[in-house]
Amino acid sequence: MSARRVRIRSVQLFRSSAIVLLATATVAGAVFGPVAGHLARAAGGEPATVGGAPGFRRLNEGQYLRTIEQVFGPGLKVPGRFEPPLREQGLMAIGDGKVVVSASGIEQYELRAREISAQVLSESRRGQVLSCAPKSLDAFDASCASEFFEKYGRLLYRRPLSAREMTSVLAVAEAATAQSHSFYTGLEAGLSRLLASPKFIFRVEGAEPDPQNPGAERLDAYSLASRISFLLWDAPPDAELLDAAARGDLYDRAKLEAQVDRLIASPRFEQGVRSFFSDMFGYEHFAGLTKDQAIYPKFTSALAKDAQEQALRTIVDLLVTQKGDYRDLFTTKKTFINRSLGALYKVAVPEAGMGDGWAPYTFAASDPRAGVLTLPGFLMLDPTHEGRSSPTIRGKAVRELFLCQQIPQPPANVDFSAVQNTADLMHKTARERLTIHVEDATCAGCHKLTDPIGLSMEHYDAVGAFRAKENGAPIDASGVFDGKPYADVIGLQILLRDNPTVPACLVQRTFEYGVGRAATPSEQAWLEYAAERFAGDKYQVPALMRRIATSAAFRSVAPEPAPAAKVRVAAAN
Amino acid sequence: MANTTRRSLLRGVLGGATVAVGLPLLDCFLDGHGEALASGKPIPTRFGTWFWGCGVNEDRWFPSKLGADYDLKEELRPIAPYKDKVTVFSNFNCALGGRPNLVHWSGVMATLSGAAPIQGGVSGGSAEAPTIDCLVADHIGRGARFHSLEVACTGQSSVSYSMRAGSTVNPSEVDPISLYRRLFQTGFSDPNKGEFTPDPAIMLRQSVLSSVKDDRDDLIRGLGAADRQRVDQYFTSLRQVEQQLAMMLEKPAPAEACVLPMEPGKVELGPTWEMATRSHELLGQLVVMALACNQTRVFNVALSNAGSNLRKAGDPVSFHELTHEEAIDPKLGYQPKATFFIERSMETFASMLKMMDAVKEGSGTLLDHSLVLATSESNFAKIHSVDNLPIMVAGRAGGKWKSGQHVSGKGDPSSRVGLTIQQVLGMPVTSWGDAAMQTNKPISEVMA
Repeated sequence: MSARRVRIRSVQLFRSSAIVLLATATVAGAVFGPVAGHLARAAGGEPATVGGAPGFRRLNEGQYLRTIEQVFGPGLKVPGRFEPPLREQGLMAIGDGKVVVSASGIEQYELRAREISAQVLSESRRGQVLSCAPKSLDAFDASCASEFFEKYGRLLYRRPLSAREMTSVLAVAEAATAQSHSFYTGLEAGLSRLLASPKFIFRVEGAEPDPQNPGAERLDAYSLASRISFLLWDAPPDAELLDAAARGDLYDRAKLEAQVDRLIASPRFEQGVRSFFSDMFGYEHFAGLTKDQAIYPKFTSALAKDAQEQALRTIVDLLVTQKGDYRDLFTTKKTFINRSLGALYKVAVPEAGMGDGWAPYTFAASDPRAGVLTLPGFLMLDPTHEGRSSPTIRGKAVRELFLCQQIPQPPANVDFSAVQNTADLMHKTARERLTIHVEDATCAGCHKLTDPIGLSMEHYDAVGAFRAKENGAPIDASGVFDGKPYADVIGLQILLRDNPTVPACLVQRTFEYGVGRAATPSEQAWLEYAAERFAGDKYQVPALMRRIATSAAFRSVAPEPAPAAKVRVAAAN
Repeated sequence: MANTTRRSLLRGVLGGATVAVGLPLLDCFLDGHGEALASGKPIPTRFGTWFWGCGVNEDRWFPSKLGADYDLKEELRPIAPYKDKVTVFSNFNCALGGRPNLVHWSGVMATLSGAAPIQGGVSGGSAEAPTIDCLVADHIGRGARFHSLEVACTGQSSVSYSMRAGSTVNPSEVDPISLYRRLFQTGFSDPNKGEFTPDPAIMLRQSVLSSVKDDRDDLIRGLGAADRQRVDQYFTSLRQVEQQLAMMLEKPAPAEACVLPMEPGKVELGPTWEMATRSHELLGQLVVMALACNQTRVFNVALSNAGSNLRKAGDPVSFHELTHEEAIDPKLGYQPKATFFIERSMETFASMLKMMDAVKEGSGTLLDHSLVLATSESNFAKIHSVDNLPIMVAGRAGGKWKSGQHVSGKGDPSSRVGLTIQQVLGMPVTSWGDAAMQTNKPISEVMA
């Protein structure tokens, strides 16, 4: 495989003409063949899609914690270690649909189940969760137990329990009551049984025939409710959304829109936006991120946390609070700072940012900072380099995270001897060191894609502090992006802001995040349509999420898993 | 009883001293021949893997002489005290058979799973088949509380080379305190304690897990093949935890080498050399004691990830970056800074052997009753070569493995090592591996 080929998925249809589309004919045939009739129709003006297989996604740590809090109220201690997440095809949300649970993982889930149940049914809390009292404290009361499991089973499984499921959980509770002579210990065992089930730990999606499109399938109402609430809140449906699903409201356009609008208006929507961008921008790497403290004395794990929080506050403020244009994320001078970031920036922190607080902060016009690429939350987020900045990794991150382009790995047998100068290990600046890559034909293909972008950020060290020079030599941050020259990262970001691939990539990622899988070729046209509408919506992210959540594409599923979609796009340089 | 002494010695070990302490199995527990317990049960055989990243310098690591009288070059010198208990393999290859050489991934997965992977690279990937530790654990892991234990020394739980196939690793314990609590606190019953009262709460937990199994059938109904496998994996894992609970209801067999250690102190976790070796020492001691206390029979230690992020404190460049960027010193003939990590990795491996060899069992040691497969993902990491992978097997499997030799594979796939291990451990396997890695040729030189 050529090192120069850049594998890019679906949305690259929007890329410049220098890019050639290589679609796999067999895939297209397999997808379009049996359902051509369905595809020809469009729902509500949207291009029709086939959809992918219904999902089977493991709750991630945040989703698990939020579920417990949403269902049982705040203040519960959730113990244990969560299994490491997996990023696949650009998103953890896609990885969630590929992961399994190891034995040590089950051990942890079982431990959590017991400890959560014990707290929920503790003497101090049981009054809040139970609307009935057992006839006797030491005997089983089927009617009170049923009431309890009906309510909490529905919230935990995100749909009502089936009769069989109810029988199963009541049997556990009854047996445990008999053994322990305690009604509440019995309920604890039953609740543990729900919490240890893969039906709770995984989001299990179900399909049903779509009456509006004979021969096609759609998500069942409860599965759709979950997709919507996890997209918008990154949390399970509340009772009201489940009620709406039970009434069939989610298949009625106006009622669906009313529910989606309700969720977007909720304070929980901010968490949904935070979760999405944390996934899209790879923030899982903040956990355990380290830099060498001998080289970067200002770096602490607290600073890494602050850098992540700063980036999320900046995103939420622009996109949710101000209802701003997504593309302005690349140019905004507005952010938030606290004490430790003030020290990193060497600026005075406003009163509100002292102590544990955060203060809104606007960089002066003359300040070399603007846009997401100058936030420490982007600049330091390189788990592979702890003692220096890597323009290659930064450039790769811009291509992959903001432009949805995948940079291939270096060839296995690459000879790095050309990069080395035996007299001194390090050239003075990164640009000098990396020039050698670009002069070598084997390396140039990819490094031409990554390094010029990354070198624009060399004024910021590995933790995001500004530096005018590296090893005493001045830094040259200029370059060319898509044929247009820029002087530094501020200039590069202006080019990115106006590049149509940037919003198209966001549309693709948001859709894929919601459905939990890579877009299929049958969804290309819909993604193009959604990108156009996104422009019409002034690139407002809540509007994009609303459009996705209410679309037919979002709820359409193919009962048999569609073959893995492979649309390959090659850079022609 | 000598318990007080051993306990206090062990406390000393985990409290900070680095000397491994021998713990003799009291004669009254043995049958007089030293190879079986008085109960008639043989001393169990244990299996482990020990992984280090970024390979070796071929000329400085592999012995020149074959057979029992093999020579130790500079990089293997740390294992000198255990030379007669270590088998060194050379010229065993990762046979790609047309699959790509996925950098820092193909080599290790080929050796451990017997299949060259199709997806992956420096940050991990997927396995086409389960790794050998899972297969062995399914065979010998029953009868211990934990099916297997995974530990990693650089603070990242995703660093693990134990996989059931697919892209999920069996995550590693990274914090000595958490590992200690999991092993020796709730749920641990001292095998050498006289009285034993089963905890009725465990039976409640069993009934909960047993009931969860009812969910399988309606779960798989709507799912595709890949997701069905994921459901089945869930229930396989669940059954392992059920077995764990069942074990906790039984009076444990005495294990005289078992001494309840003290909780380790808090240590900083991370990829600097100092932190990683400290973690290795503490995690290694706990794993060894878990083996001696029959808490597990299978373990996996990862010193670091394959594209090793190990680093000297204050040095901006990691081991992995050094392998690619550091010049070969013309006088020395190797990369001195990168080689530091290779040599120290072998010292760390030797320290693991030391810990295992210090636990006396019968007429031998825990190491004698084990097989530890140690390997890396590359031969020479600078160019990601996967021919002539560095592979060692330490231990004697209770006498079933002829240790202390250097054996050449003459270019055969490295899956032969895994096949041999499985056969020596009594598993009914005649052929192992996939595609170009497939083999039905065990290494007869090491089979006793």
